[in-house]
Amino acid sequence: MVKTALGCEPVVGSLTPSKKREYKVSNRVQEGKRPLYAIAFNFVDARYYNVFATVGGNRVTIYQCLEGGVIAVLQAYVDEDKEESFYTLSWACNLDGTPFLVAGGYNGIIRVIDAGSENIHKSFVGHGESINEIRTQALKPSLVVSASKDESVRLWNVHTGICILIFAGAGGHRNEVLSVDFHPSDMYRIASCGMDNTVKIWSMKEFWTYVEKSFTWTDLPSKFPTKYVQFPVFTASVHSNYVDCNRWLGDFILSKSVDNEIVLWEPKTKEQSPGEGVVDILQKYPVPECDIWFIKFSCDFHYNAAAIGNREGKIFVWELQSSPPVLIARLSHVQCKLAIRQTAMSFDGSTILSCCEDGTIWRWDAVIS
Amino acid sequence: MPGLTLVARETTNLGCNCNRSRAGDQMCHQESKVHLSSEEAIAAEESLSVYCKPVELYNILQRRALRNPSFLQRCLHYKIEAKQKKRMQMTISLSGIVNAGAQAQDVLPLYVLLARAVPDNMVEKHSVAYRLSRACVLTAFSESGRERSQATFIMPELNKLLAEAKSGSLSVLLVTSGETRVSSGENNLLKDHSDLASIPSKFGGQCLWGKLPVDSLYSAWEKCASLSLGHRSEMLLTIDMWSSFLEPSCLDVDSCITFQTPHTSGTTNSLRQVKVNVLAHEVGAKERSPYESYAYNDVPTSSLSQIIRLRTGNVIFNYRYYDNTLQKTEVTEDFSCPFCLVQCASFKGLRYHLSSSHDLFNFEFWVTEEYQAVNVSVKTDIWRSEIVADGVDPRHQTFLFCSKPRRLRRSKSQLQNAKHVHAHVTKMDSPEAAGEGSHEDFMEKDADGSSNKLENKKVSKALFGEYHMQSRKRVSECCHPENPCALESMEPVASSSNMFAKTRKLSVERPDPRNHALLQKRQFFHSHRAQPMELEQVYSDQDSEDEVDDDIADFEDRRLLDDFVDVTKDEKQIMHLWNSFVRKQRVLADGHIPWACEAFSKLHGPDLVQVPALIWCWRLFMIKLWNHNLLDARTMNNCNIILESYQERSDPKQS
Repeated sequence: MVKTALGCEPVVGSLTPSKKREYKVSNRVQEGKRPLYAIAFNFVDARYYNVFATVGGNRVTIYQCLEGGVIAVLQAYVDEDKEESFYTLSWACNLDGTPFLVAGGYNGIIRVIDAGSENIHKSFVGHGESINEIRTQALKPSLVVSASKDESVRLWNVHTGICILIFAGAGGHRNEVLSVDFHPSDMYRIASCGMDNTVKIWSMKEFWTYVEKSFTWTDLPSKFPTKYVQFPVFTASVHSNYVDCNRWLGDFILSKSVDNEIVLWEPKTKEQSPGEGVVDILQKYPVPECDIWFIKFSCDFHYNAAAIGNREGKIFVWELQSSPPVLIARLSHVQCKLAIRQTAMSFDGSTILSCCEDGTIWRWDAVIS
Repeated sequence: MPGLTLVARETTNLGCNCNRSRAGDQMCHQESKVHLSSEEAIAAEESLSVYCKPVELYNILQRRALRNPSFLQRCLHYKIEAKQKKRMQMTISLSGIVNAGAQAQDVLPLYVLLARAVPDNMVEKHSVAYRLSRACVLTAFSESGRERSQATFIMPELNKLLAEAKSGSLSVLLVTSGETRVSSGENNLLKDHSDLASIPSKFGGQCLWGKLPVDSLYSAWEKCASLSLGHRSEMLLTIDMWSSFLEPSCLDVDSCITFQTPHTSGTTNSLRQVKVNVLAHEVGAKERSPYESYAYNDVPTSSLSQIIRLRTGNVIFNYRYYDNTLQKTEVTEDFSCPFCLVQCASFKGLRYHLSSSHDLFNFEFWVTEEYQAVNVSVKTDIWRSEIVADGVDPRHQTFLFCSKPRRLRRSKSQLQNAKHVHAHVTKMDSPEAAGEGSHEDFMEKDADGSSNKLENKKVSKALFGEYHMQSRKRVSECCHPENPCALESMEPVASSSNMFAKTRKLSVERPDPRNHALLQKRQFFHSHRAQPMELEQVYSDQDSEDEVDDDIADFEDRRLLDDFVDVTKDEKQIMHLWNSFVRKQRVLADGHIPWACEAFSKLHGPDLVQVPALIWCWRLFMIKLWNHNLLDARTMNNCNIILESYQERSDPKQS
């Protein structure tokens, strides 16, 4: 565990809501009976900022948030394999801007859905186990990265269907990888975390030629010289249990385990010896009753706020970038009692969506004062 | 020698060309019970030759072992011999005193010592010295039935005793302790000899003693013919006892006693006489039953099979061949291994020996009340490089691990040459299928076998033995269907002929295009990338699975070296250069190091001489290699000469 020097204790946010913003339930949609594991707004394409998607069971559904709390179904896709259970989704797009929806789950097959033509664009096989998270590189939205139970993270090019890099091996994760995220500005960096209690930061700087090559590859995808990235540049043991969600906040990392809190920390790599390093824990965002794994948080486009559900169906909205952290709001509803696995904040944070274990989608809208 | 059928076996038989015929002899004759067409018979004969190569290999090993047997086998051999060695057990008890009026207390306790006379020149005139070898004490007469009424000695068997008898020095001494006194030296005298522990420490002083020479005992035993048949011989002897002064003495390490006859007595007159009962019989020979000492010549052929079964050490070996449908049988005695003639002492031992020393074969062991047997078949899945085609010198073959052994074996010339070692294996018929072979079938075949026997009177006894066994097996099978062992063993034999036709077809008609189609139907994945492969890629000659990306390997190497904290930058640089050199040049073995050092010096020399720190790191590294005996001084010198030449070349340019 990380030791902190005197006077360097992390700042812990207060759980008293600041009432900076008030949210009210504006809609509730029962999608099905099966639990929904992921929900996400489309931040990739400015035209579709009000479009979101959910996954649960073998189903992927695309909705639109309309004025007045209205939720409209746009498209729904069902995997022909009834055993499939999608765990994660991410929005991406083709080189020409066609919106893609990338989903993965139990079967370990990544489905790339072309939402423009309502077709399966590609299916990626390669992962040996189920897929726990998929994220899109915001700066190059045809690159997606997937975290899998097979202890590897893979980088894919959805445009050409190439598996570019595999982050696994001698220095890789030693258990399921649960979460992965692209650095917001440094294209080469990704962070991953998982059941081995570590957060690992990887650099693909030395492998970038392969990433570039993947865009122009015209031969068979299977002939692409996929490379293994075996050594992360940084391995942090911030938590003492499964780390199930991590996100970059600038050069800092937000990560959470099953300890009822989100932790903001700074990875400090030593110049002369990469791989090793120290961790400086900056802030803590308490989230009561959040002690089961596979609960993920979401942020608005600018990472001003983060929303996270808990085991009892409550949502905590934290202001991320203030110190000490400020709890913007605590959302609860008498009818929402089950665990919330994932939330989705809209571009500006004015709408918060949550997906529940009982297959419901809740829409919260900020009250304009 | 083990193996009744091994008449023709000669271990001195060198060379490979003879193996075919030899194997035929060893494995006894071809069973004629199953009707085979001439073509099939030839094929069967050919399939039997599967045994040739492994047997040849084991013969070679055995020949080597003759001069230098393995430790385990030497120990085992010794143990077996010791177990079977004959010995004489002699029991001496005191039955009475001859002299009237003598009291028992005068004689008892009586020490019975097995002792060897020490040559005269070592001691004085009036004394006799003996070196003790074993001792017992008698505290009672034999009639009394009390404890310690008899002394027992184990002696060598009669033939060996002859030598002792001739020398005349070994005797049995009877000593009364007489007037005893405690002497300080006695404890020392006796303590080293556990055999003599029964003698109390107060041994010594005035005593009475009598002598019973072993040579006289021997001559008595020799006359007794029944002794070797396990009978006892009993003798009642009268022994004169003399009075003398007994003195323990320590000559070297052996414990000795000296009897000093008093000078005054002059003549040796016996004071007392004791009656001693000497009982002798052979021990150790009992384990061998009388059957086993008979030579086969004396046994009527009809009873030979009985003897074969009755002997505990006899093991039946059934050699399966021709897709396990035929078998040849031989019998070995004393639990011997049929391949290397090692005697294994027990069936369990044989079992361990076979599976550990002869792993080119499969063994099935089964034991019934009547006999113990081993089914042998050739393992076909482990063709190793030991088995090479005829006419190929194994020394000329490259030693390499072949990850695709099948492809290698199918190469045509190899197939043709090594044809006789290439066995086609099919599974034994299932019991249901084999059940079709009815009892009539068996009987018919039986009749065949016996008629054959009658015709061919000159066939060796061994073969008769085998026939008997075969027929016995069948009879027992017919009468006692509850005997599953026998049934099992027979099934494969019975179901032979149908099996043959099927398998033959299969091997010949296996179509190649079908494999091709199977290949097309399947989805293949790349072993590294786990990406589905296109058919074109599957068929292509390119194989990228073992590819090493040198750039990435270099990158990773640098990354790992960077983790070292206590290593200077120059050292890291040399480490990195060396690591990538070793990887690229595939320096794998210790023996490659000298070459690698020279080549490294040549390759990187021009760069190294530019940076003196690097050159010193490299030299230090070479010294480390030299320390570990990986690099010889001469090569290190060569490397330094190379480096110096580069230095000289670069210096004038710079100046």
